Amino acid sequence: MASSDTDKALLCVGAVTGVRGLKGEVRIKSFTGDPKAIGDYGALFDETGTKAYRLKVTGLVKGMVMARFEGVNDRDAAEGLKGLTLFVPRDALPEAGEDEFYHADLVGLAVELVDGEVLGTVQEVHDYGAGAGLEISGGVRGTVMVPFTRAVVPMVDIAGRRMIVDPPPGLLEPGQPEGPEDAERDQKGRT
Amino acid sequence: MARSVWKGPFVDGYLLKKAETSRAGGRNEVIKTWSRRSTILPQFVGLTFGVYNGRKFIPVLVTEDMIGHKMGEFSPTRTYIGHTADKKAKRV
Repeated sequence: MASSDTDKALLCVGAVTGVRGLKGEVRIKSFTGDPKAIGDYGALFDETGTKAYRLKVTGLVKGMVMARFEGVNDRDAAEGLKGLTLFVPRDALPEAGEDEFYHADLVGLAVELVDGEVLGTVQEVHDYGAGAGLEISGGVRGTVMVPFTRAVVPMVDIAGRRMIVDPPPGLLEPGQPEGPEDAERDQKGRT
Repeated sequence: MARSVWKGPFVDGYLLKKAETSRAGGRNEVIKTWSRRSTILPQFVGLTFGVYNGRKFIPVLVTEDMIGHKMGEFSPTRTYIGHTADKKAKRV
């Protein structure tokens, strides 16, 4: 469950990069997981959150979403939208599944160890193919990467804007030299 | 050119030793390594490695699908910070 502050936050979901044809169609670079999902969240807003736009997705060409804005029926009007960044309010997103979290909710959470030591705040959520990982920085230990698993992150309190990390041995300690090659490398001054 | 099959997969000896020690100890520890060139072997499945990317150690929980790939493939050296938008992370 997200807090009210988080609900009001605007998330950037796309940007208008160009126009297509003469009937007011625009090209949009979508930042959503499924590019076409940009049309599923109802009204989109500009960065101030004051001006609302309604769009209808018409297709997908070379990774760019083709869409038509309500009330924009010719190329000149569409040209005026070039460069527009599109946002949705956080509460427009559907509820995440069990043990699923939106990156936008995780970023900025305060992170503590089980013993109460402050580790920092979540800066980024990465997934390089080996499961999600949290980049945490701002604490005395500098930047650390933590696997986003139930064992390592037993508690995530989105409403309270904090999470608890129980790091496995070796995660927060510096690595040990690995073999004679490392010592040789150090002597030669190579990295 | 692909590596000759008769040589078998390449893996740094010290990494293999670290993995065996960790598995024998039964501790679910993170094995920090600089050996991005090592191939992921079946005996690494279930272990968590911290693979250095030149700046930090990226946690890599090894699964069966990763066998045959190199450690470095899961720890990119260049960062691209995209938009979070509606992206979700699943806690496994």
